[in-house]
Amino acid sequence: MLNKSLLEKGILEKSQLGNKTALFPNDKGLTSAGAAKREHGSIKAEFVSAYNSGLNRRAFLRQTGAAAVLLGLLGAKPSAVIAEEAEDKVENDRGLEDFNAHSRGVVEAVQLQLFPDDGDGPSAKQLNGFQYLSWALDDPENVAEGDKAFILKGVGWLEEQSKATQGESFIKLSLIQQDTVMKQISQTRAGENWLSLLLYYLLESLTLDPVYGGNPDGIGWKWLEHQPGFPQPVKGKTYLDFS
Amino acid sequence: MKNTNEFDICIVGSGVGAGPVAHELAKAGYRVGVLEKGKWFKETDFFKDEQLGRHRVFRSQFKDERHTLEEPNGDGTWSSETTAQFWGGNIVGGASNFMSGYFHRLKPQDFRLVSEFGEIEGANTVDWPIGYDELEPYYTKVEQLVGVSGKVVEHPHLEPRSTKDFPFPPTAEHPVAQRFDLACRALKLHPLPMARGILSVPFNGRLSCEYSGYCGSYGCHSGAKASSRAALLDNAVAGGNCEVITQAKVYRLNTDEAGRVSSADYFDKDGESVRVLATIFVVACYSIESARLLLSSTGVKHPQGIGNSKGQVGKNLHCCAGGTGHGVFKLDKLKEFEARQLKIRGPFYNRALQDWYVIDDRSVSDKPIKGGTLDFVFDPPSPTAETAGLKWQGDNLLWGTPLKQKIKAHFTQSKDFKFEVFCDWLTNDECYVSLDPDEKDRWGQAVAKVRAGFHPHDEKVAQYLVDRGVEVMKAMGADEAWGNVFTSPTSNLVAGGCRFGNDPDTSVLDRNCRVHDCDNLYVTDGSFMPNGGSVTPTLTIYANAFRVADRILEEMKVLEPRT
Ligand SMILES: Cc1cc2nc3c(=O)[nH]c(=O)nc-3n(C[C@H](O)[C@H](O)[C@H](O)COP(=O)(O)OP(=O)(O)OC[C@H]3O[C@@H](n4cnc5c(N)ncnc54)[C@H](O)[C@@H]3O)c2cc1C
Ligand code: SF4
Repeated sequence: MLNKSLLEKGILEKSQLGNKTALFPNDKGLTSAGAAKREHGSIKAEFVSAYNSGLNRRAFLRQTGAAAVLLGLLGAKPSAVIAEEAEDKVENDRGLEDFNAHSRGVVEAVQLQLFPDDGDGPSAKQLNGFQYLSWALDDPENVAEGDKAFILKGVGWLEEQSKATQGESFIKLSLIQQDTVMKQISQTRAGENWLSLLLYYLLESLTLDPVYGGNPDGIGWKWLEHQPGFPQPVKGKTYLDFS
Repeated sequence: MKNTNEFDICIVGSGVGAGPVAHELAKAGYRVGVLEKGKWFKETDFFKDEQLGRHRVFRSQFKDERHTLEEPNGDGTWSSETTAQFWGGNIVGGASNFMSGYFHRLKPQDFRLVSEFGEIEGANTVDWPIGYDELEPYYTKVEQLVGVSGKVVEHPHLEPRSTKDFPFPPTAEHPVAQRFDLACRALKLHPLPMARGILSVPFNGRLSCEYSGYCGSYGCHSGAKASSRAALLDNAVAGGNCEVITQAKVYRLNTDEAGRVSSADYFDKDGESVRVLATIFVVACYSIESARLLLSSTGVKHPQGIGNSKGQVGKNLHCCAGGTGHGVFKLDKLKEFEARQLKIRGPFYNRALQDWYVIDDRSVSDKPIKGGTLDFVFDPPSPTAETAGLKWQGDNLLWGTPLKQKIKAHFTQSKDFKFEVFCDWLTNDECYVSLDPDEKDRWGQAVAKVRAGFHPHDEKVAQYLVDRGVEVMKAMGADEAWGNVFTSPTSNLVAGGCRFGNDPDTSVLDRNCRVHDCDNLYVTDGSFMPNGGSVTPTLTIYANAFRVADRILEEMKVLEPRT
């Protein structure tokens, strides 16, 4: 349940961010050392690239946009750990650690809102969004970060919010009602963290190599006219196979 | 403690500073041992897989090894964070496996900054103990042996060369290069094809470039990239005189009562300590770690660490000052064939401007000051990182069709070209390496603490150059162009910390990169550099390591080899 202090905390941090963000004209025209530090790629700014920055993979990825940079600097989101600190602990009981048909249904519905079948480009479903998510959540690093428990916990929040304001489970709502509920939960820090984490994995299923289970036949790349590198990773030589 | 091996020469690290020494000494018939902390990965392990880099397959693990980084807050206080920022590559060949291979030479004035431009208050700038002429033959050697592709064109700041051109023709160029050349000529500038440490034709058992477009930050699958491993160590080992011991984390150099290094101790992959004996030792762990190893190696004659009797080890560290800029071209505003051209991925941009290597502009300074280089480059492709950055709109999360459209527009409707500015990071008293009294790595050794203070002069120069880059982008027809100056340290382009010089009071190494107070120990990575010049340093590190290898060979001839 999202408690009030969490909500207030979220609002407080957002207003701080608002002040800071105003200093920076756009996504890339960042001027502070810290912001520049997070610019990725190239040899000059390589010190900030994923593996070099001392940040974990997700922390880096969430910091590549301006707002995200600042959010990252303030340690605001979208991290399960932070949400955890802010609110009650994500319980570690076994029951919470796996998707049942219901929680899977809710997550798939949310993913479809995040990346809808709108006639332009692949939907979450076509990207194998849920299969990719379940695979990624079993990656030892992500397990260590408590992502699965956090995502399952968020399903509970979403359902409560949905029932309290719409009188129904999220799965039963119309697309418009679903969007309303998602907007509501995104007003809180933990809720936004949760959506951001789901988006994070979903976007991986859009652009990562198909060897990792998302982006089947490179449909995400084709839509984005993106040319992959050569040679592409093959089964047996993914990052999990190097130890 | 196991005594495994005895060599004529023992080298710590296997990157750019190490490869030339191993190669030359092994070729001359000496028994060379290379101790490398990481594993040996080969061409067949390198895929264009973003996950490989992100999961630190090839990098040191943060939980095992870290650095402490202190940066100025701007109000006289210092921030402090624990970071893995300064690990370039924890594998045989080190960071050179992942570099982009921009290979510029320094220029004669880089060796004589004080004589040419005068002292700058608050900076510890010195002239080098050697001149450009002494390094020139070794630049030529690297170009041939390690493999540099390029084309010499005349320009006002072209450095003197003993060869007319590069031994390998330039790598294939992206069509944007022509657009760039036209714009620069209209501005009366001198567009330069940039030399690359990348083979444009096969050489010495290595294949030429495959132009996948995924280069900097990714390992090279063809062997074209001039990594120390592909270009030097593979050969050295094949010759039979060089042994590379992997997963060997050297934690101490032991010195005898005369102050000479007698052995090196490392932890093997099982955490067991192993001792290596040799006649001559060479340290090449990448600046910060080289300083850390010397500071950690105390002994009777070296109570403050080897080379540190005057407190100089770790001092005068420097990075590459400068910044970056972007030009965004909206593809729908271009003719169709132009838009198609700009979207091509594969060949290199390969352009640089050095028109402002010396800035003679009264609006900045009443006398000429040292300027720098602008490199025009492609970001290493990283679609997941790019996409992840797009999910925020202001400080709100974006999703649904608006997000899809934003992502699609980012990938298909515009093209972002980048430039990078390199100028001198002036050495100063607030930029140095020490041992952290609180943090230890997984082997229980104090981690390196890096204080990364910068001189305000660097910002002024960098801003001037960034502004010039933005002008070029606009002249090329960019719809939007902007740039930023950096004051944070570039973790992959660090040098100094054990600078060479004739005066033991202000330097750690002599002119041949031998430690002043330890006559069988050399340091051959970028640590020796009193300043980095206004280019990326790797070609110079290679060249100097070949120079030092010649000095060590001379030394070996008069020494009794170990039997
Ligand atoms: C993504 C990227 C792009 C780059 N692009 C360019 C470029 O375009 N142009 C350019 O000039 N430069 C570039 N560089 C920088 C270039 O790679 C470095 O300048 C160069 O590799 C430095 O060589 P080195 O020998 O000092 O260190 P490294 O290559 O880092 O080698 C040091 C080695 O020592 C090992 N080591 C460290 N400590 C120990 C220990 N205690 N015991 C045993 N082994 C140890 C490490 O594992 C490593 O393999 C780039 C770097 C990166 C990461
Ligand atoms: S682009 Fe060329 S040099 Fe770079 S990694 Fe690919 S093959 Fe190697």
